[in-house]
Amino acid sequence: MKSSVRDWKLHLIVLLLVIVGEWIGARKINLGFGVLALFPMLYVLVLGGIISWPSFRWLKEEQMKKAATILGIAFLLFVAKLGTMLGPSLLKIFEAGWSLAFQEIGHFIGTIILGLPIALWLGMGRESIGATFSIDREPNLAIISEKYGADSPEGRGALGVYVCGTLFGAIYLALLAGFLGSMGILHPISLAMGAGVGSGSMMAAASGALAVVFPEHEQDIAVFAGAANLLTTILGTYICIFFSLPITVRLYNRLAPIIGKQPVAAKEEETNA
Amino acid sequence: MKDKVLIISLIGLIAVIGNWIGYQVSPIEALPGIIIIIAITLIGWGITAILPFKSPSVVWISLVALLITSPIFPGNSWLAEATAKLNFMALATPILAYAGLSLGKDIESFKRLSWRIVVISLVVYTGTFFFAALFAEIVFRIQGRF
Repeated sequence: MKSSVRDWKLHLIVLLLVIVGEWIGARKINLGFGVLALFPMLYVLVLGGIISWPSFRWLKEEQMKKAATILGIAFLLFVAKLGTMLGPSLLKIFEAGWSLAFQEIGHFIGTIILGLPIALWLGMGRESIGATFSIDREPNLAIISEKYGADSPEGRGALGVYVCGTLFGAIYLALLAGFLGSMGILHPISLAMGAGVGSGSMMAAASGALAVVFPEHEQDIAVFAGAANLLTTILGTYICIFFSLPITVRLYNRLAPIIGKQPVAAKEEETNA
Repeated sequence: MKDKVLIISLIGLIAVIGNWIGYQVSPIEALPGIIIIIAITLIGWGITAILPFKSPSVVWISLVALLITSPIFPGNSWLAEATAKLNFMALATPILAYAGLSLGKDIESFKRLSWRIVVISLVVYTGTFFFAALFAEIVFRIQGRF
């Protein structure tokens, strides 16, 4: 911990990135069939990724690990900020009670109903259980490795989605949010709740994109994304243990023989025997 | 602990500078807000530490922040106004900069993944975002809110 504070090089790079990013500012690029929302958060994420690219050797592995530790602490400041936005809007949040409750169900089953059939169709085996029962952030990873072991097929699936999420979850959600927002089908507040996926950086990026697309709703977007994300974070572990994971396993056993590919079915017998 | 305080102060400072460049709020104007946000974080940590059971500090930090800016708390409007000087995006930018700088360590494990898991990841993120937004929208429409 002590050494992560003293790594001035790391902090200096962050300061420079922030200055450059904020100076460029937010940009909306119309693609004709949707809008690409670009803003400081995304620039610094991408630039940071380039700086830490292993073959450049600009940062040591140790420094990257420090950056990850600092990220965990820094995120708490963002949580505090979102909390101060929620307080004055409590009434508005309560008024949206039912929507808030139902969108939460959407967060948990959305990964399964879309992900599991496609995973099976692509020929994945039991990996698909770990990969699709949640968005596979740290708490979900812990649940899977406790139940199946980190080296099991389920654990590998979960870890795979975890790594992909770390690498491009924030970018992807920002692009998706900007895109869905510009289609004009869903209300900015509904989309904001969608942004509360249960990962801080992904929520920040997705709600940031929505704020760029709907500047007049910026305040509400942060409030509702924050409220949804808080719900997902608090309830997440329990819902995953008692609801998402059992449902995913059941659905897998049902669907695997129907849409699963041959080699998967063979592997399935192997594990059962 | 001392190092954690140093880190969040440093990030607060960087955020204030970003807020200045990106949102034209002078650092002096934003200073009370960031001090309040840092204080909330520390109080949340304190609560997490003294509680006899293990719990995520995210929960307590959120609750403290929510409580002191909610209408029932004395001085809430001043606290809310001061913290509002700091744009939420300006606070998220340095955090994502650290996130970016940590990405390099995951490239090796990424290379070992099959393309299938990459596709599934994107589908999973699309699913959780889209279905939550859709469900919220359906309830709002049933209630006739928009």
